[in-house]
Formats: sequence, C-alpha cells, structure tokens
Amino acid sequence: MLAGYRFGAAWDEVYTADGAPRPTYGGLHEALTAAGPEVLASLAAFLGTVFRDQGITFDHEGVERPFPLDIVPRIITAAEWDVVERGVAQRVRALEAFLDDVYGSGLVFRDGVVPRQVVVSSQHFHRQAFGIRPPNGVRVHVSGIDLVRDEQGEFRVLEDNLRTPSGVSYVVENRRALARVLPELFGGHLVRPVAGYPARLLAALRAAAPPGVDDPTIVVLTPGVHNAAYSEHTLLARQMGVQLVEGRDLSVIGNEVRIRTTRGHQRVDVIYRRVDDDFLDPVQFRADSMVGSPGLLNAARAGNVTLANAVGNGVADDKLVYTYVPDLIRYYLSEEPVLRNVETWRLDTPQNIAQVLSNLGDLVLKPVDGSGGKGIVIGPQASDEDLATLRDAVEANPRGYVAQRPVRLSTVPTLIGDQLVPRHVDLRPFAVNDGREVWVLPGGLTRVALPEGSLIVNSSQGGGSKDTWVLASPARPAEPAPDPAGGESSVLAGADLTEPEADLPAGAGAPGLGDHVDGRRPLAVPPDLGPSEPPREQQQQQQQGRTTC
Amino acid sequence: MLSRIAESLYWIGRYLERADAKARVVDVHLTRIQDEPGTDQERQLRTLLAAMGVDPGDGAVTPSSVVALLAFDQDSPASITAALTAARENARGAREILSSELWEALNVTWHGLAERRMAAAVLGPQVFCYYVRERTAMTTGLISTTMVRDDGWRFLSLGVALERIDMAARMLSTPALAEGRASVLAGLLRSVGGHDTFVRVYQGAVSPANVAEFLLRDQLSPRSVAFSLAAAEALLRELDPGLDDRLGVADGARRALGRMRLALEFRSSAELLDDLPSLIESLLRLTSRTSDEVTSRYFGKSLHVRWAEEVAP
Amino acid sequence: MTAGAPGAGWLLSVKHHTGYRYAGPVFSSYNEARVTPRSDPRQRVLDATVEVSPAASLYRYVDYFGTVVTAFDVHAAHSELTVTASCVVETAPASAVEAAEDGTGWAALADPDTVDELGEYLAPTQRTTAGDELLAAAAQVRAAATPDDGARLAAGWTHTRLDYVTGSTSVHTNAVEALAEGRGVCQDFAHVTIALLRSAGVPARYVSGYLHPTADAAIGETVTGESHAWVEWWAGGWRAYDPTNDSVPGPGHVMVARGRDYDDVTPLRGIYHGGDSQALGVSVEVTRLR
Repeated sequence: MLAGYRFGAAWDEVYTADGAPRPTYGGLHEALTAAGPEVLASLAAFLGTVFRDQGITFDHEGVERPFPLDIVPRIITAAEWDVVERGVAQRVRALEAFLDDVYGSGLVFRDGVVPRQVVVSSQHFHRQAFGIRPPNGVRVHVSGIDLVRDEQGEFRVLEDNLRTPSGVSYVVENRRALARVLPELFGGHLVRPVAGYPARLLAALRAAAPPGVDDPTIVVLTPGVHNAAYSEHTLLARQMGVQLVEGRDLSVIGNEVRIRTTRGHQRVDVIYRRVDDDFLDPVQFRADSMVGSPGLLNAARAGNVTLANAVGNGVADDKLVYTYVPDLIRYYLSEEPVLRNVETWRLDTPQNIAQVLSNLGDLVLKPVDGSGGKGIVIGPQASDEDLATLRDAVEANPRGYVAQRPVRLSTVPTLIGDQLVPRHVDLRPFAVNDGREVWVLPGGLTRVALPEGSLIVNSSQGGGSKDTWVLASPARPAEPAPDPAGGESSVLAGADLTEPEADLPAGAGAPGLGDHVDGRRPLAVPPDLGPSEPPREQQQQQQQGRTTC
Repeated sequence: MLSRIAESLYWIGRYLERADAKARVVDVHLTRIQDEPGTDQERQLRTLLAAMGVDPGDGAVTPSSVVALLAFDQDSPASITAALTAARENARGAREILSSELWEALNVTWHGLAERRMAAAVLGPQVFCYYVRERTAMTTGLISTTMVRDDGWRFLSLGVALERIDMAARMLSTPALAEGRASVLAGLLRSVGGHDTFVRVYQGAVSPANVAEFLLRDQLSPRSVAFSLAAAEALLRELDPGLDDRLGVADGARRALGRMRLALEFRSSAELLDDLPSLIESLLRLTSRTSDEVTSRYFGKSLHVRWAEEVAP
Repeated sequence: MTAGAPGAGWLLSVKHHTGYRYAGPVFSSYNEARVTPRSDPRQRVLDATVEVSPAASLYRYVDYFGTVVTAFDVHAAHSELTVTASCVVETAPASAVEAAEDGTGWAALADPDTVDELGEYLAPTQRTTAGDELLAAAAQVRAAATPDDGARLAAGWTHTRLDYVTGSTSVHTNAVEALAEGRGVCQDFAHVTIALLRSAGVPARYVSGYLHPTADAAIGETVTGESHAWVEWWAGGWRAYDPTNDSVPGPGHVMVARGRDYDDVTPLRGIYHGGDSQALGVSVEVTRLR
C-alpha cells in the first residue's frame, strides 16, 4: 500500500525520511495497514456517496461538486496545537486593533508603523465603513488564518482571511463522516471535538447584538443556492437554529432591518453575512448587486444592526498589509509573533522590484487582493510564457503584487486509487471572537492538493480535504461549554465518538441518566413485546368444554 | 417563517404530489393504452395529455413521446423529472428549515433519476415510475415523521392538498369515466391508488357513478377531493394568525374551499356524474385561485429587485 | 440697498433644489445627499436644513472626507423626488481668503512623509487620469518656481483650454473627455486642473459648493446662483482656486464638500426601482443678507 511512497524535500508529517511512522502516527499507521487497500478504497467510495447524498458540495461555475474527503486523517499534537492556537488568536487580536485604527483614529499611520498609502491604496479599504464602530468592538467575528508547515515542520502564516472565510462546515462534516465510516481509526486517540463550532459562533453573534437588545434575532445572509459555499451557509444556519435569508428577504426601512415573514415583518438585529462587501449594499457599493439589500450599511452605522463580519475587513487580508502583521503584533500587543510569516518581499522600491523581476522563476508572485488561489504564479512551476506575462503585469502595477519564497508544503499520505501517496497540505484554523476571547476551533480545515506535486490546495482547483485531529493533552481540562444555546452544542459534542473518556459524565452513586446511557442498568419498565400467546389456548379449552356437553 | 421559505415549502408539497400522481398516471394509463391494441391509441394519448394540460405540439403522438413529455424530459415542465428537480431546487433553498433526512431524501431522489431513465429505456417506463412512487412515498413518510408541525409543515401540506385536488380533477376529465368499461374504471382507480379501497366500500360494484362519487367525496379516503378540500381548509384556518370565525369566514380562500366541499357533499351521486364537466372546471379554477390567494397573502413578493443608480447635481 | 462694509465677510442664504422625475411610479428609493456646508476657518454655518418630498425620515452622518451626509429612503409610490437644502452661512472676506502664507517649495512636496500622508490626493482617479496633453502641460507646471506658481499656472491653463458651455458634458465626463471636447462646466474645469496638478506632483482635491454670481452683490436681493465646483491644492497648507472663473474663491463661495473627485462629493446619489429616472433641473437661489 505504501510501496510507491516517495519522499521529497517537503516535511512529511507521518513518516520520517527512513520510512518509519512518527510516534504520533503509530496507531493510525497500524489501523490503516490492518484495513488494507481494498477496504480503504471501498470506504473512500462510500464516503463520496454519503457526501453527495447529503448535498455537501460546493458550486463551481454553476456545477455542484463534491469536495472530496481523503480517508487518512491528519494529526496535530497538543503541543503543536498550542502554538497554532496562541499564534492565531494573537494575530486576530492584533488585526482587530488594526482595523479599529484604520477605520477610526489612524494612530498606526501617525506612529509610522504602516504607511497610510498601503491602506488607502488597498482595493478592500472601504471609506464607506469609516467611523462605524461595532457594538462590542468586534469586526472579525470569524476568521480563517491559512497556515503551512515549512521544510522544517514549522507552522507559518500564509495569509489571513478576515472577510467571509469559508470551509468550516467541512471541518464539522468531515469529522462526522469519518467517525461514521471508519470508527476504528479513532481507537486510542483523544481527539478534541469540533462539533461545538456553531454554538460558539452563535454565542459570538449574540454578544455582538446592538446595545439594549437582550434576545437578538440573528440571521445568516447568503447570496443564494448558486454560491460556492451555499451548503455551508445552510449547515451553519441549521445548527445555530437561525433563519437563512437572501437579500430579497430583507428590507431596510428607516435604518431598521426586517425580514418578510408569513406573519408580517420581523426585526433583525445581527446578520452573519456571507455576501461580499461589494455586493452587500447597492447604495454604497455595486448598484447592480441583486444579492444584497440597500441600506444595510447605514443601518449598521446607526447602530441598529450588527454586520458580522464588519464591512471593510478586507484591507487586513491585503497581501501587502500581511507583510506588516508582525509589526502590528508588536505595536498593538507589545508581544513577539508566535507564528512567523512566510518570507515575503514588498515591491515598494525600484531596487526591490528589479530584484524580484530578475528572480521571477524562483519566487511565488501573489496578487495583493486575491483570494482562493486566484492569480498566483509559482515561479519554479511556471512556463516561460507565463513568466513573461507576469513580468508585464508586475511592471505595470507593482502595488498589485508581493513575492514569496516558494514553500514546499508539508505532505501527508493520501489515498489515490488504492495507493497511499504523499500529497501537499495546508491548514486553515478558524477563530471566533466574541469580544472577550478569541477562540480557535481545535481542528481546522486541512486542504490537500490531489494532483502529484501540486501545491494548489483550493477546492476550485482540484483540492480535497482531510479530517484534522487535534489531540487532547492528557492534562487538559474538560472543554468549557459555551454558555448561550449551549444545549445544542453539548448534544452535538456528546454525539462525537471521539470525546475524551475523561469528559464523559461519571456514573457512580445514585442512578442517573448516565447509567442508562452507559448500559450499566436497565430501565425499570421493559418495552411491550406485542400480543401474547395465552388467549388462543384459553379459547381451545372452552371449545373442548363445549363438546363434552 | 420567512415568506420565501414558506413559498418553497408549499411548492415542495405540490411538486412531490405532482410527481407521485404523474408516476401513477403514466404507469397505469400508458400501460393500458399500450396493452389494448385496436383502440384508437393516438386519440387516447392526446386525451391524456390534454387532461394533464400538456400541448403536444405538432407531429405524431406516440407512447414514447408521451412518456418523454410526462416523465423523462427535463425541459418539459409537465414532466416528473421537472417536478422532482424543482422540488429539490426549492428544498436546496430551504435546507436549513427541512430536516436533514428530508433534504437528503429529495436530493438522493433527484440524483437517482438519470440512472432510472437509462434503465427505463431498456426495461420500460414502469421501472422509472416505480422508482418515483417508492421515493415519493419514502419522502412523504419522512415529512410525516420528521417535520415539526409548524407553519412550514402547514404550507407544505397545503401544497400537497391543493395538488391532489388538481390532479384528481384532471384524472376525472379523461373519457375513462364516460366509457364506463370496468377495466378502464379500475385503471382510473388504480392510478389514484384507490382501487382496493373502492372494492371494499362498493363491494366491487364498478359503475361510473360509484367511481365518481368515491373519487370526489369519500369522507375517509385520503385521496378523495372532499378529503383534500377539508384538509386544505383546516390548514388555512391554522395558518390564519388573526382568526375569528364568529361572524363568518373572512378568508376568501377558505370560504371558496368550504363552499366547494359542501357542493360535493350535498349532491346526489347521479347529480355528481351529470355535473361532472362543470365540477371539474370549477375544481381546477378553485385550486388555481386558492394558490394565487395564498401566494399574495403569505408569500408576498420576494423578487430579486434590480436597482438603478441615479445621480443629480 | 448698499454693499457691505469693505473687508467684512458676507452673510449668504442659499436654497438648493434638486431631485428626479420618473417615467413611471417608483416604489422604493434610497438616497444620500451631500448638500450641507460645515463650518471651517473660511466660513461659519449658522443654519442648515434639508427637506425631502415625499416625506422621509432623514439620517445624518459625517463621512470619511468630513462631509455631512443626509441619507433617506422612500417607500411610498412616487413619480418625483425633490430635495431642498437651505443654509445660512457667514463667509470670510476676500482679503482673508487670499492671505495664504508662503507655500513650500517643490522639495517639501517630494518628502516621503508628505507623499504618504497626502497620497490619496496625488493618485489619479478614473475621472482625473491624465492623457498625453495633460502630461505635457504638467511638465510646464512642474517647471514653475514654486508649487503655488505652478498651481496658478495649471488653473490658468485649464481656463484657457476649456470653454464654459452649460450642458456640454454630463456628470459622468472625465478630464480627458472634457479636454477632447474643449468645453465643459465647473466640474470639468476642476477635474482637468486636478489631473494636471497631480501629474505635476502637487496634491489636489475637488471642492463642491455654491456660488453667488455677482462680485458686488446687493443685500437682500435673491438671485439665481450656481451649484459650483473648484479646487484646492497643498503647498504647506491647503489653498483654493476657482479655475472656472480663474480667480481665488471670495465671499460669494460657500464650501460644502471636499474629496478626490466628483464621485466623493456628489450632491445627490441613490438607487431606486421603478420607471426610468431623469434628473430634475437643479436650481440654486442665493441671497446676500449682509
């Protein structure tokens, strides 16, 4: 099964260069070997059917496509995760402060940390959002920070996604599906649950409600069924127990947002919107948008509704701003960055531009305002023609690009046919900010580039995903239950097969619900078993009695 | 409940019922027409299409063209495929409201259609019809066992009830009833899934009057028109938030349904048969008008609005 | 009627009517008006109101550029929408306006901190992108002894190059198109001057406001005024110039909004759905009160 496993210059997360599994992966290696290639291949096919039937797809150019889940999970140890968790939370806190600054007092410019030009020349710096202060100060309710592991196995930040990052539904669904199809893989691992995400998000959205609204009406705003992430929007709305609305369901009258229901209008307080800034409010942005609702931004400005995430966050995603994030962490938090960036060069001086242009073939060039892998050119893999086109584009608009060292993303064994082969992966952890704490979902989306040697993991470009297991450290205290609407989350978390044993309710002493659930004690009343036999016997006896008369 | 979602649910109900009814029609009638050589096949097929409200266009009408129009063709709005696709599309837009099982059932049904069409090309349309009937039965079961009885369920059920009235009226409009042959009448009963019940109720006395009576006003058969009228009435009553019936029924839609139900209940069975053509027309008008009234009252206009920009100095 | 005391500012009352007329009924519309002047060293706003018909509740906020915005939405069917902005403003005397301190030299404009701070007023916008002709003219501006001299040259060049012809261009015209026409309105004069200044490395911005048409206006007489536009450039401080009239703005100028170009200060902008829209003729009435 591993016959064709070849090692490259990349860090392999499962096997050391001599082919032995790393200690973390010992159990998984055994389980996979025990299952054998045919079983794995047929289970993988079954997984595909399950996803198709449940409609867990993304829409690409009008066609619904599956986002294939690879059967081999990726494991991250408690110690490794600790770094990721602290690093991601730190980054989000710094970027929150940065956004508050650029849409407010602008101290970061006065103090010379980031040139004003970098911000005001960003495509995603929206002057329309200037002066809007969200109720609890949070702009980045949800973020996805893209990480890669470099050649030494160190996690590095590749980019920040503070607008409407997607993919978290795959984290939840992948776990559910894998636990259903291959429960034996989980044996012996203390995997931290991911099913609590919707409850965390709901709690953060409730905390973001306008002042004075104790029981906010929350909705998820989707562009509609043809959006690539529509399936995720439905999952989040359903699991949070809130309505999924489209722009045409909303109307803003006198800065109050309402939804049109069968019993008249209902006021909306918080909108978790998955519609991009440009399409959100045709009064302020693209007038031809048919998926937004006019007046939303002024309703937010007036403090009557909270938009999550806030409008204008994209400026922090700008790849040029990315190069300043380590400085922003030092400036706002007086801390050293926990996670390093990938080495990146700005094209801000003639010398830099010349140097980058003369080394195009050895660098990765990224458009500063791109997302989803769009427009990225990987020098070592590009044709001469592509490089020539790139050169012209960079010369015409150096502000539009940054240059990065090509990182050989780490590899994890992936089932292709019935062979396990190394494939490159990245990691997108998701963070939720409720205003008191930045919580990082223990898991995140591992995307895998399925074609051999490919470094492009995006779903729209032939990527798949892996279930990502963050191991609990034995000393780790039980997961704190998120407070509001915690009921649903604990049910979901309880259904997760991988909950550490230590978190299950102990069943000593008086009989409690846990005893029955554990099968330690039967319920007092047995179920009815159906009509019983004796009446027939009685009838026969009576007949016998009659014949003797 | 969001107006747009309510509308989706209402249409899921209608499309599901339509797919089920059409599958029965194609299964029973087409088989009969094909199996009875010597009858004027094309005329019968044309009558069937007319009853279903389908314009066959120019050219010959053959069993396979009818199957295409009523069952297979995605582009034919009257087809089962179109109905199940529309049901699934509506469900896709209302996924967070539907139970996961219900959504999955509709999704799987839709994914399976292409395969059954291919099988039907070899084995005959019955394979396809069987699949559709089985899947719609399963879906209906999931509606009954997994959906919360809130307004969403009511709108969906209302869709089912109105579609059932509409399809029953259309079935009664075919010349089967006028022809009066027992085998044809049995086919008609089978196509609404009421044959066995009818035999029990009427002790096998298959006459046009009995069949019409059974299909129109049997109080206990869930497929009779009167049963569905009563169901729709009850659902509308529950949906009405400001209900007060003390001085009569204010809701025009409910009034019309009730009047029609009484008209069916208080006619003699001979009158039912005599008045059949006008009754059928009234029933079809009634469902269409009720649908319009429910739409304008509860669903509002959730249209995509195209905004225009304007600037003045 | 007598003219005010020499050297004193004016007290001006302005009434600005604008809006749209529609071919068919409009069911819903959302608008933002930038028609309210704010106090600054050159003017004091004593009163400012905005009225909208059909009636709507008005929401007011200050935007990124410091302009007062009046936002409103209308949801009753209507075939005409009108906005009337009224204000009473005390303006500075001409001498005070002209007495700007000595400007900085070219070297100061090239200072990296200045370039970073004022970058938004140096970068071309779609409306203020320079073509070949403007780039050639910019070289002459650049050759002037000081940025102030260069700026006056730029405004003069525009004034010579364009003829003022009402209705010759639309609100969507950009600098290059106006130059090709050889004529335009105040908006085009401002865009061409700004394109020229930015090409020469002088930070420049667009100013919208109102203008009393006569230099020695009679007190108490209501006359037809202009909804007007002029420019400001930066040379150690911001200074204003009116390229349409080739003059320094005087007590007859009331400043309403500043921005990178017309798009940042559009007096009335919005979206609607319904019949075709046509801008109503704009009218401005001004009265010198003192």
